Amino acid sequence: MPATEYQGSFLGRISIRRNQVVSMDGPHEQELEDLDLFQRNIADRFSELLPSSSPLPPPPPPADGAGEGDPSGPAPASADAPFLSVAWLRKLLDVFLCCEAEFKAFLIMGRERDPSVIAKAPLDRLLPELLDRAVKALDVCNAVMHGVDAVRHCQKLSEIAVAALEQQPIGEGQARRAKKALGSMMTVLAAEDKESSGHKSTERTWSFGRRGSSAGANKDRSAAVQFRTLSWGVSKNWSASKQIQAMSANLAMPRGAEASGLALPVYIMGAITVFVMSALVAAIPCQERTGLAMHLQVPKQFTWAQPMTALQEKIGEEWKRKEKRGAAGLMEEVQRMERLGQALAEFADSFQFPSEGERAEEAVARAAELAETCRKMEEGLVPLQMQIREVFHRIVRSRSEVLDVLDQAGKLSAPTM
Amino acid sequence: MGDCEPALVNHEMEHHIVAAAQHLMMALRASTNLNIDDTRGFISNVEAYLSTKSSPSESRGRLLKEMEEQLRQYEIVIMRWETNGSLIWDSSSEETSEYLDAAVEIQKLLETLGSVSPIRNAKQKELFLRAQCILEIAMSRLSEELRHILVRYKEYYEPEYMSFRSFVEDVVYDESFVSIEDEAADLTSHAEDDGGGTGNAPAEHLVSLIHPDMVPALKSIAQVMFSSKHDQEFCQAYVSIRKEALHEYLVILKMEQWTIEETLRMDWDKLSSEIKKWAWAMRIIIRVYLASEKRLCNEVLGEFGSINSITFVDITKASMLLFLNFGEAIALSPRQPEKLFRVLDMYEVLTELLNYIDALYSEYAGASIRIEFHDLLASLGDYARATFAEFRNRVALDRSQKPFGGGGIHPLTKYAMNYIKVLSAYRGPLNLLLCDKEVTEPCLVVNDEEECSSDSSCALAAHLRSLVSVLELNLVEKSKLFKDSSLQHIFLMNNIHYMVQKIKDSDLRCYFGDGWIRKHIGKYQQYATSYLRATWSSALSLLKDGGNQALSFCRPTLRERCKAFCLAFEEVYKCQTGWIIRDPQLRLDVQIATSQKVIHAYQTFLGVYSGSIGEKYIKYTADDMENYILDLFEGSAKSLPHSWKK
Repeated sequence: MPATEYQGSFLGRISIRRNQVVSMDGPHEQELEDLDLFQRNIADRFSELLPSSSPLPPPPPPADGAGEGDPSGPAPASADAPFLSVAWLRKLLDVFLCCEAEFKAFLIMGRERDPSVIAKAPLDRLLPELLDRAVKALDVCNAVMHGVDAVRHCQKLSEIAVAALEQQPIGEGQARRAKKALGSMMTVLAAEDKESSGHKSTERTWSFGRRGSSAGANKDRSAAVQFRTLSWGVSKNWSASKQIQAMSANLAMPRGAEASGLALPVYIMGAITVFVMSALVAAIPCQERTGLAMHLQVPKQFTWAQPMTALQEKIGEEWKRKEKRGAAGLMEEVQRMERLGQALAEFADSFQFPSEGERAEEAVARAAELAETCRKMEEGLVPLQMQIREVFHRIVRSRSEVLDVLDQAGKLSAPTM
Repeated sequence: MGDCEPALVNHEMEHHIVAAAQHLMMALRASTNLNIDDTRGFISNVEAYLSTKSSPSESRGRLLKEMEEQLRQYEIVIMRWETNGSLIWDSSSEETSEYLDAAVEIQKLLETLGSVSPIRNAKQKELFLRAQCILEIAMSRLSEELRHILVRYKEYYEPEYMSFRSFVEDVVYDESFVSIEDEAADLTSHAEDDGGGTGNAPAEHLVSLIHPDMVPALKSIAQVMFSSKHDQEFCQAYVSIRKEALHEYLVILKMEQWTIEETLRMDWDKLSSEIKKWAWAMRIIIRVYLASEKRLCNEVLGEFGSINSITFVDITKASMLLFLNFGEAIALSPRQPEKLFRVLDMYEVLTELLNYIDALYSEYAGASIRIEFHDLLASLGDYARATFAEFRNRVALDRSQKPFGGGGIHPLTKYAMNYIKVLSAYRGPLNLLLCDKEVTEPCLVVNDEEECSSDSSCALAAHLRSLVSVLELNLVEKSKLFKDSSLQHIFLMNNIHYMVQKIKDSDLRCYFGDGWIRKHIGKYQQYATSYLRATWSSALSLLKDGGNQALSFCRPTLRERCKAFCLAFEEVYKCQTGWIIRDPQLRLDVQIATSQKVIHAYQTFLGVYSGSIGEKYIKYTADDMENYILDLFEGSAKSLPHSWKK
């Protein structure tokens, strides 16, 4: 789903419109029609993100370690991009980029219709708010960039375990290797979770009097310490949940006379931004997420509100489960990695040669699943990171374009950040 | 023990061949057609030979026994360290190489044992798994040793290694019109010659980040771990610790992690110092630290292909994002003229470092970092251009409601000239940034035929001249706020004189050219002349014979003329002692010119008429007056000691 596809069609339409200098319907009619199209496009795109099985699937059974080979996990959004998977997140960012491009076209078009509108209420307030929200979104992008790094770190550790467990026959040596790698992986995930609830340990010392017998514990901690330094895309006291809260704080549906013109698209774009950013924060390890709220209230009368609210609810449910279980993020692959990793670690822990029978077969199957999960992450995480960066740059560019628009309107009364 | 693998394979093959030959023999013997003596003799010989060959299972058993014995010895080497409290690389080099050799040999044994698959022989399988287990212990140990070496022998070099560049001071337009002092203009000139600009990373900029004695150890650990397919464990440990080291170094350089929001909210002083730090740390990190990190990667991982560059990127990416994001935040911030120099600093540093960045991230893995830095340079360039335009606007549109007291040098003039002076130090980047921007020079601009050098024809020169003419135009506007036309002239004279001085006595001279300077000296002299005329013409006409034609029909008496002149003088004195000409030389020049004009005329007048006027009606002698003239333009209004009595 390349971003340009949508962009092309919509922008193309606009340029055609511009050329039809005077059309039959008045400018207001056009505006309404464009607004309608804008919203329909958004609704379509968000609907595509919804898991295909419309009624919400039953929650996966509580993960009680090994045992049943629960195939559930989050419900598939579609065959190639299960809900909250890396592929799904990439789709989500595509949707954001498309909506953003159309919104900007809208803004510029609206200004061409009536340049003075920018400087008048309510836009003189809404646009600076939009810019402020954009800056906050940039910091979210940076925070999740580092979160993806953390996930990659875990992926590499899982790959080591996979490499060990794929050996035939599995001996104690390989079991040991797998156990060690999975142990580090689980520590990193746990550290991430602790990190995200704000218990930041300042101690960063390397205790290398390692031969103090309990080398294992020592190593685990050092893995966690290393990881902590990996997640420093934002400053110390930054909180993802507070950021999302701040972004949605002043986001209010325009009412009455304000609802006409550009105020509505500005509101819609704000809602999309808040939703997309909060989805990223929920899915990807991120600094300080306690109390992350997934309930941006969007009025039901909009066509796009339905799919967005449904997605929000689904993420919210997942989030509640996560808070109970304590996981690093809702990303499908991370959850799977955590589940498989735990089971495999237990297998490796109690490993005794020769390993045969049901347990061994299970382990082989889990290792294969973990290998597949790693492969998906290997394919998707770097592009995801690049896409987050693309979103970052897009927001930067748009922000300066909006600033130019404001500048030209000549009334940058309150200095925006 | 390197030959055990072919040995085992040969045995396997031999086993098949011997079996095949025995079958063949049996078939031959059974054949009745081959009853020839020769043939029979041949068969017996062959049979005799074959019988000397031991049975294959026996030979394999012997070989496995040999291998088991070897493995036992390696196991002793490996396991000895598991109970020992010390670290291998803290011990003698014999011991380290013994350990590494043992690991390599176990690895070879494993390959041999695993080369016949599936492993049917139980003994072989057991041996295989045991070897694997011991190898795993060795690998685990090696990655621990690796961590230890990386941490224990980590080296930093003092950041003072590269001196903090003498950056220019800020030029801030203080709206309160108070704090602008000329001292702000005595800026350390912008050193362009430090560090040798672009070019290849010179060898002397490389430092050791790990004690050089330990680099071979890292390399040998890498080799053993890679050959045992534990490359991921190696990279995992290596990347984590080197990344941590880089992070620590950034902390030593006092680099802080700011969010974009925080950066945008910073007050200017803070932001300015953060930018300086950014530029300073960037140079150290890119030119010295990362170049050295890259070398270390090459030394340790050079033979493992693309893993080398991937590892380098993994170590450095997060830190590079720190630098990039700060840059992005600056490019996002509102465009204020006072930021221009800092942004130009950033631009310049980045321009200089781009070659290094390209070299560090030349491979595919680093492409996105490389591209981001190029993009950032472009954004900062756009920002600088826009800010330059913003400055021009500020100079053009600065409006004051009240005339500026005393006709002195307007703060805008000081600000603009100091600013321009600092701008000229950024010749390199500004010429790059401004070359494609047409200057629309306002009407006042001078197009000199004679240019003192190529300097005056560069893009920056054109922009600077244009800026100064914008300033001049604005000053003309400001002068109109003075009701007194004499003061208008003094104001313009003062300000243009200031501009000329600033330009003449600095590097700006070559951007403006002698022609411009001459022309503007002429200008302020012209304003001085206009002042003299405006202030003194009417008074002096009183002294002239047949003076005021309008009054010719009722010609005032000489006495009245003298009195009127003195009154006029007192008026001027009272008013113009409050005016100001800061520059002592200029003040003296104006005073002398005034004296020459006024005192001379007064002297002549007195010389001719003093007798007819009468001593007691001459209030001031020419000498008195000459002294009084020296009080003019001092900036403190005075009145003459006693008022005129009839």
